[in-house]
Order: sequence, then structure tokens, then C-alpha cells
Amino acid sequence: MSEHHVVVDNLVKTYPGAATPSVDHVSFALPKGEMLALLGPSGCGKTTILRMIAGLIEPTSGAIQLNGREISQTPVHKRNMGMVFQAYALFPHMTVAGNVAFGLEMRGIPHSERGPKVQRALDMVKLGHLGDRRVTQLSGGQQQRCAIARSLVIEPELLLLDEPLSNLDAKLRDEMRDEIREIQSRTGVTAIFVTHDQDEALSMADRLAVMSAGKIEQIGTPREIFDAPANEFVAGFIGAGNFLSGRVTAPGEAEIEGLGPLRFEAPARIGSQVNLMVRPHRFKLAAPGPNAFTGQVDSLVYRGQILTLGISVGGKRLTADLHTHAGHLPAKGETVTLAVAPGDVTFLSEAAA
Amino acid sequence: MSRFLWHGLIALIYLFLLAPILVVVIVSFDTRQYLAFPPESLSFGSYAKVFANQTFISAFGRSVMIGLAVGLAAVVIGTLLSMALVRYRFRGREGVNFLILAPFLVPHIVLAVGIMLVLAPMQLLDSYTGIILAHLGITVPYTVRTITMSLMSVDRRVEEAAMVHGATPFAVFRRITLPLIAPGLIAGGVIAFLISFDEATISLFIVSVKVSTLPTEIYNYLEVSTDPQIAALSVLLIAISIVVVIAVEKLIGLRRAL
Ligand SMILES: Nc1ncnc2c1ncn2[C@@H]1O[C@H](COP(=O)(O)OP(=O)(O)OP(=O)(O)O)[C@@H](O)[C@H]1O
Ligand SMILES: [Mg+2]
Repeated sequence: MSEHHVVVDNLVKTYPGAATPSVDHVSFALPKGEMLALLGPSGCGKTTILRMIAGLIEPTSGAIQLNGREISQTPVHKRNMGMVFQAYALFPHMTVAGNVAFGLEMRGIPHSERGPKVQRALDMVKLGHLGDRRVTQLSGGQQQRCAIARSLVIEPELLLLDEPLSNLDAKLRDEMRDEIREIQSRTGVTAIFVTHDQDEALSMADRLAVMSAGKIEQIGTPREIFDAPANEFVAGFIGAGNFLSGRVTAPGEAEIEGLGPLRFEAPARIGSQVNLMVRPHRFKLAAPGPNAFTGQVDSLVYRGQILTLGISVGGKRLTADLHTHAGHLPAKGETVTLAVAPGDVTFLSEAAA
Repeated sequence: MSRFLWHGLIALIYLFLLAPILVVVIVSFDTRQYLAFPPESLSFGSYAKVFANQTFISAFGRSVMIGLAVGLAAVVIGTLLSMALVRYRFRGREGVNFLILAPFLVPHIVLAVGIMLVLAPMQLLDSYTGIILAHLGITVPYTVRTITMSLMSVDRRVEEAAMVHGATPFAVFRRITLPLIAPGLIAGGVIAFLISFDEATISLFIVSVKVSTLPTEIYNYLEVSTDPQIAALSVLLIAISIVVVIAVEKLIGLRRAL
């Protein structure tokens, strides 16, 4: 336990009057300097977890430890955290620089030391030239960056980010993603990052916790979550997938309704019902053969580097992502065969028939 | 056509509301020693007399002092009450809310008798403390109103952000909440000042000679004589109210624009 910087243990929050808990026995532990993404659909309790860690709401039960010390009883202002709120929550009556300087001022940092720190923080988020502006005169993206600077400048023990990039345009979002990641690894600050954008979670976090309805469904590295999802919910939430269910007819082989036999690499009892998944990018164009399905292309979406095509096979739809540099690209109406290696089939669950 | 009628009706209503004021303004320039309309000749004589009237001048000074004290105290009390009402869910909250609104519902004459009966045994009749307490009773409901409105428009997340970034509850109040509700405080304070400055009914029951206010002196003066001095004084009072309101409007308006 002690080597972990942040430990959240069986955290529960039931709002007054609510029938079910909004956060339901959530546990995780973070080593120093790690970035955890909390990922899940709207209303699954992400903000509630952050607010409990920050001390803004009281947990119904459970423990929160920082540096091995229980902080549930520590007042908010003594927890030394930085937080970027979902709706920025900048101080509307202050300038950009005033907002960023606030935390330093509260910590009693003398005026002469504040100036350079504030300027550095503003430069970091590319707002260096706007320090004297009123925050009400900033664009949404600029406000978000101001909020990030405000939370970083105090060199917090723990950085909490509630969808910090949701209001930026695609290009700025990519830049800020890299920027936050860079700042975070440079300062070595431990961070918890809330998002419902899977790309953001996969590209930024050291580890991901996928949530649904107040519970953590799976926690792991982006790779583990993507390649070995623990269940259908996680598989469906992270990335696209072709979900195939069928009956196991031989070791490592299932008969998929309407599709035929599909080989996979996982122990499953013969006769049981299995749920399998194939990620669209695992399909390759191939000649007819085992683990290959032939059908007519009925949808084509060109996405630059990737071509997403859909085929209908025996009443089932399969989606595949093909690299556009991969030689011949099929056209609509063309008959193609998609093949997948048994090792690229994800085994999700098994139920006795 | 109906639009035309509508505008005409509105104009008539305004005329009806403003007519007494207009009459007073005109009469204030009359040269005769009694109140009559229309005047036969005009001068600033009545105004000169008002400014030479030591009773009026010193009553004006007291009214301003009482008004300032009432405005300030009503804002402080209003802020505390509003914070409690907006921010805390406590038992009896509805009751407190009703008590604060009660002075809106009860006629001033009834309040006046009640306040007099309360102040008399405490030896507070005809004292600054007494008149200020009485005026607080009728002005605090207004300051609670304006300050509650301001407080409700303050985003809780902004205060929370201050807390998370290291502000003690007091620092949050001083650095975040207070500046954000300042327009409401100023508006409430000015309304309280003006109500205190204009209030006659309750004051008449509570003050006699020592702390008489301008409205009570006007009333006393009217009992013995009616001449254009009263009209001139009324015009001056209206002018003061208008100047205060415009000044505040400009002040708050400017702050908002910055
Ligand atoms: N103050 C509150 N009182 C009662 N219920 C609340 C309160 N705040 C949140 N909830 C409920 O708790 C659940 C979780 O809310 P939360 O804000 O944590 O979700 P979220 O995962 O952050 O969602 P989003 O992605 O939309 O921000 C929701 O069902 C919400 O309705
Ligand atoms: Mg949220």
C-alpha cells in the first residue's frame, strides 16, 4: 500500500434521496507520477469521484489516502490539489493572471515570486500574452487553458482534471493532449483525468479505469483494455468491435450463427455459448478459406488513412478498417473476403449452454 | 390603430403618475405664502428660505447620518441572513424567510405602533439607536432580497475552485463571494438609505425633538403652516433620490462593463 501515492478504497457515494449509489465501491491505487483516466458514459459517476477526492463532497463510505495518509477528514483547502472543473469555474472578476496567481497567493507566496511563476504557467498553456485580459473575454478554449494553468502553477500533490479538453477544437485538443502529457511527466505530478472520449483516454493515460453506473468495470493499461477487454461493456465502450456469439463445437472453434465456424485462441468448453469480438482493424482482405467471410460491400467510409467498409454475410454485418495504402481498395457492391487470425479474436465471456 | 391607442394609454398613465410631482415642482417657485395652483409669479425665494431654515438643515444632517448607518447595517445584516438562507438548509429556514418578508405585508402604521411599544420600555424612543433599529426593521427585507438574488447568481463551482486551490472559507468569502455580490450589496444599501431617508410614518411614532428627521420636520412644519417652502423642500428630496439612484446605476453599470 505504502508505495502508492494515491489510494482510493471502496469509495461509495449515495446522494441524499437517491435510490442507488452514484459511486459504488470504487477502488484504485496510483503510484507517484502516474496518470489515470476515468472513462465512462455520462452520469456514471466520474465527476462524483473527483469531487470526493478533492473534498468537495463527503463520501458515504470508503477511504482516500494521499502519501499513505488518510485525508477524508482534511479540509478542502489543505489537500493541496489542483483541479480543472468541467465548466472551468474561473474567477470571473479577475484577470487571467489573477486567476493563475490565486493559489500561490493563498499559499502565502510573496508577490515577487508569484509573477515569474504565473508567467511560466501562462506560457506553458500559450496564454502568455493574455495575462491582463479579463477571463470573461476569453474564448472557451482559452478559458480551459487558463483553468489548466491555474491548477498546475501551485505544483499540486494531485492533479484532478474533469474533461479538460472537451471544449477545444480537434487540432488544439491534440496539441493540449500532448502538452498536458508533457507537463505532467515533466512535473511528475500524479493525475486523475476524467473523460468520456476513448481516444483521449487511450492516448493520454498510463492506466484507464472504465466505469459504468458507478462501478469500475475494468482497470488496466490502454493496451490491456483495448486488446483484452474484461467484458462486453468495456469492449463496446472502447473502440468499435464486431460482436459474435456462438456455440463451441471443437477446441478453439465456435459455430457463429449465420456466419459459420470461427477459430479463436482461448480455452472454452465444448457445447458452451461464447461471446467473441473482432476489432475492425483485425480484418484483412484475403482469399476465401478458414476464418474468412465473404460478402458484398454495402457501405464505405473513407477516413484518410483508413477505409471503413461494411459487408453483409448471412444476415450479419461485419465492419472492417483497412489501411488505404494496402494496395487494391474495394468499391461499393464488390464482393470481398475478410479474414481474421485466430489470435486476433477477442474472447469475452462463456456461458454453459 | 390599437397600437396607437395603447401608446396613448401608457402616456396617460405616466402623466397621471407624474402630475403630482409636476404640480409640486411648479408650486415650489410660487411667491405667495400659501399653497395654490397655478402660481401667479415665479422665483427661487422658497429655495432660499429652505436653505436658511436651521431646523431643516440640521434635520437633513441627522437624516443623512441615520440613512448611512441604516444602509450600512442593513447590508451587513442582509448579507449574513442571505448567506444563511441561500447556503444552508436548516430547520426553521422557511420560518425565517417568512419573518423577513413580514414587514412587506404589514402596513407601516401597524409596524410603527408595534415598534414604539417595543422601544419604549428600553428607553430607546427619540434616540439614534431607536430610530436606526426601527428603520432596520423595514429595510432589511429589501437588502435580503437584493443580496439573495446576487448570491443565487454566484456559481458555486467558482467558490469550490477557490477552496480546492487553497482558500480558507473566509478567504473564499472575501476574495470570491464578496466581490461577486458587490453590485447587490451596493443596490441593497442604496435602497435601504433611500427608504430610511424618506420614511415618515414610523419615524413620527419614535422621534420627537432630539433625533427628528427631515420627513418628521416636514410633517411638523405642515401642521402650523403651508407655504411653498414645503414644495421646494419636496423637490430637493426628489432631486437627491434621483441623483443617488443615477450615481449608483452609473457606478455599478461601469463596474459591470469593466
Ligand atoms: N448533487 C447531486 N445530487 C444528486 N445526484 C447527483 C448530484 N450530482 C450528481 N448526481 C447524480 O450522480 C450520478 C453521477 O453524476 P456525475 O456528475 O458524477 O457523472 P459524470 O460521470 O461526471 O457524468 P458526465 O460525463 O455527464 O459529466 C448521476 O446520475 C447524477 O444524476
Ligand atoms: Mg462529469
